[in-house]
Amino acid sequence: MNEERRKILDMLAQGKITAEEAEKLLDAVGDPGSGTGAAPGTDAAGRRPWKYLRVQVDPGPNSESGDRVNIRVPFKLIRAGLKFAAFIPREAHAKVNQAFKEKGMDIDLARITPQDLEEIVSNLDDMTVEVDGKDTVRIFCE
Amino acid sequence: MLIRFKIKEPGRRGFGLWFPVIIIWILLAALMLVLLPFLLLAALVTSWRGPGVRLLLIYPLLASVLWNLGGLTIDVDQKERVLLIDFI
Repeated sequence: MNEERRKILDMLAQGKITAEEAEKLLDAVGDPGSGTGAAPGTDAAGRRPWKYLRVQVDPGPNSESGDRVNIRVPFKLIRAGLKFAAFIPREAHAKVNQAFKEKGMDIDLARITPQDLEEIVSNLDDMTVEVDGKDTVRIFCE
Repeated sequence: MLIRFKIKEPGRRGFGLWFPVIIIWILLAALMLVLLPFLLLAALVTSWRGPGVRLLLIYPLLASVLWNLGGLTIDVDQKERVLLIDFI
């Protein structure tokens, strides 16, 4: 509970304000549970609406290639591209599922709905991957 | 929206190009128009078993991908080549 909400509830408990006034004040400061009054620059869930997925590869001290890669992909493009998943032929599903299984993921491609894909994309913002090997790979949102 | 394309190899003069995406849109629209009868035929043929009418969704999906290309940046800096593709 944040400080403002606590103060309002204290005032209500002390009888300085009525329940109606408290309700109005609480609405004004926002209810984190309802998603209103989110901090500036955040979405309804209180998360910052990331725009891009970044992939950076920087050569490490032992890098053989010395390649430097910087890719920035808009989330809108990822969402648009994912819709093409509907065109994966059914015959290919078994092969894709098998490939997933070999990587330790028990996923049935036929059961993945557009809502699932949307959920995956909307949760990508929580992801940061950093791999330090010969090259340093960073995957993050910005 | 503009595309910035740059390629540079050591010891050679680099090549850079800026051009509006609308040129690609126009070329692609013409290509789509030419391919439309074939797509309709493919949708008809595969309607019994296969993607069928879903094939017609390719056009709006492709348009949506192209529409959302703004902000895409691919920057690869190799020893022998530097490549930059940027949608602004």
